[in-house]
Amino acid sequence: MNALVIACHHLFRIVRSPGLILILLAIPLTLAGIEYAAFGPTVASGRLPPIKVLVLDEDRSFLAGAVPQLFTSGGPLKDTFETLAVPDRAAAQALFQKNDAAALVIVPAGFQQALLDGRRAELQFAPNPLQTFSPQIAESVLSMVTLIGNGLYQQALTPLQRINALKNSGRQPTADEIAEISRGFFEAGRRVNGLSAINNISVTSVRPAGQREGIGASPQAFFAFIFPGLVIFGVMFVSQSLGLRLLRDRTRGLERRVAMAPVSPATQLAGSFLFMIVGLFVILMLLMLVGAAVFRIELRHPPALLLIGAGFSVFAAALHLAIIGIAKDDRSASFIGTGIIMVLALLGGTFIPAEQFPDFLRRVAFVMPNGAAQQAFIDVLAHGRTLAEASTRVGVTWAWALAMLGAALVLSRRRAIA
Amino acid sequence: MLIEARNLRKRFGDVEALAGVSFHVKSGEIYGLLGPNGAGKSTTINILCGLVQPDGGEARLNGIDVVRNAVDARRLLGVVPQEVALYSELSARDNLAFFGRLYGLRGADLRARIGVVLEQVSLADRAKEPIERFSGGMLRRLNIAAGILHRPKAVLLDEPTVGLDPQTRASILDLIRSIATDAAILYTTHYLDEAERLCDRIGIIDHGALLVEGTLAELRTAAGEREIVALRGTFKSDAIPAALGLGAEIQLLKSGPDELLFTVTSAERSLSGLLATAGSFGEVREVAVKQPSLENLFIKLTGRELRD
Repeated sequence: MNALVIACHHLFRIVRSPGLILILLAIPLTLAGIEYAAFGPTVASGRLPPIKVLVLDEDRSFLAGAVPQLFTSGGPLKDTFETLAVPDRAAAQALFQKNDAAALVIVPAGFQQALLDGRRAELQFAPNPLQTFSPQIAESVLSMVTLIGNGLYQQALTPLQRINALKNSGRQPTADEIAEISRGFFEAGRRVNGLSAINNISVTSVRPAGQREGIGASPQAFFAFIFPGLVIFGVMFVSQSLGLRLLRDRTRGLERRVAMAPVSPATQLAGSFLFMIVGLFVILMLLMLVGAAVFRIELRHPPALLLIGAGFSVFAAALHLAIIGIAKDDRSASFIGTGIIMVLALLGGTFIPAEQFPDFLRRVAFVMPNGAAQQAFIDVLAHGRTLAEASTRVGVTWAWALAMLGAALVLSRRRAIA
Repeated sequence: MLIEARNLRKRFGDVEALAGVSFHVKSGEIYGLLGPNGAGKSTTINILCGLVQPDGGEARLNGIDVVRNAVDARRLLGVVPQEVALYSELSARDNLAFFGRLYGLRGADLRARIGVVLEQVSLADRAKEPIERFSGGMLRRLNIAAGILHRPKAVLLDEPTVGLDPQTRASILDLIRSIATDAAILYTTHYLDEAERLCDRIGIIDHGALLVEGTLAELRTAAGEREIVALRGTFKSDAIPAALGLGAEIQLLKSGPDELLFTVTSAERSLSGLLATAGSFGEVREVAVKQPSLENLFIKLTGRELRD
């Protein structure tokens, strides 16, 4: 009974003085909010924002006017890019500085003539130094389209060279020469027409049954993927904070005063454990509910979520009770706790999705307590898996929880005896 | 007997913290355990609370062995620790409610007791205020309130007035006197005046041993009518006792390279002779004469002043 009195007392203290806990809870919510601001509208629209490419036409020719269509001519490129003509380089520079464009394509004077003369014609590509990925995508697409264009141009190179030769000779072509040039264009057209099958190629995604469509399929799926990692990271720090509160109680003589009451050491220990576990579980579930309300994450399979949340709460509580069981003061406990949290976060895939890790690290991530819990949440929230389907990761989480609980009991008992 | 210590012994490594301490405290009695820092007072308290196990001897509260039945014994006990051990983010009422629940108080009984003790420590009008706004004296009073809330039969007060101004100390001593009517109180202190003013019986403890105990009158008698003369300076201490040719008039309590302590029947008669002899074996820089008192007895028994 007294264990319950002690646990309720500590929880009541948090209610009376929630400042630090609220700050710690704000961390994952703020991170999620920033990600929502950065990606939310994009994800909601179901597509990436178009990459803006500036085009400076210094040639003012028919072919130069067709250059923007290289990016927007159709198919998937149509939604990926948008082009904007700029009058000069200064205008392009101004848009770069506003971070309002990814790259500038310059069509230099003499571009069309060079092509017609069969000479080398050059397009200039200038990336916006403020951006990283979008200019690379634009440059790759431009190189690819140029390669295809060069291939098509090669098909008509022979008749074009005959026309140039006749032009340079200054005489009128004969009927036979015209017929030969025409045949050359005809053959080129026939070869190119043979490539028309390219137009019939399509891509169909084949996924195992139940496999998610991709995290960008909807905002719900996207945040169901990123939010669990942030929640678990935040809960680890809240757990550290609760543990440090208990440690400060010890250094301020409060733990000793409770020990002078008719309370056995086991009861006192049970009260502390109960407080930590219940406190963390409530906080974790509150974060999930806030995530559901704000980021519209669908809380599927509640029993599975409760079991994962309980397992991770037990683990986090036991970890920090073990730390305060061995730490001499709150400074060393903070140092040890923060170190362990950061290592777990790095290895467990909090900062970089574990599925992007190299094979060995990915295996490590999924057997880490936080990695297993995070992935179990993702399995349920993002992939819609049931408790049975996520049972391996739930099992790993609970195995860690029970092992750490045992370690914490031993260390706390040893401390109490000392 | 409500509080009973029999031949308590405890070692911490090479240090003998308690070397066979025995005493008892009856209901309604305030027993002062007087000694300097490190004398063994806190170890005695910790054993009585069941926080430390003695190496030998036994401690009982109302006949219950505190080692074998620690939890049962603690139900009878109220402890006021030396440090203010309260939850600063909570109000006075919430602090008391927590400690009351630990002792099994619930509901209307708990609320009534909180009201009574808050009146007793003159904090009823500040009951709902977070105690982080309280002064040092108010915190000390609340610290005592938390120790007596559950009507304990035995109360241990471990130097509850350390660091307080004289006025606050006086009010706390009055408070302790008021709660002593139906409880046995063990009061540790190193303030002689507190022990003289408050305690019915006093035990002087040093180096883990109870040197003497009795009522204030008994102890004053034990101190005798002799005065204490302290000479401070630089001395070749080994040679002095022989040179003085000590008799009944002058007794040497302690000799060291920087201090000589004597008991004398009359400082007025002996001082010139003492100064002349001590001066020939060193340099006297300070002379102090103390009248017969509890402090004299302490010096007589331990060879040092209580503040040491």
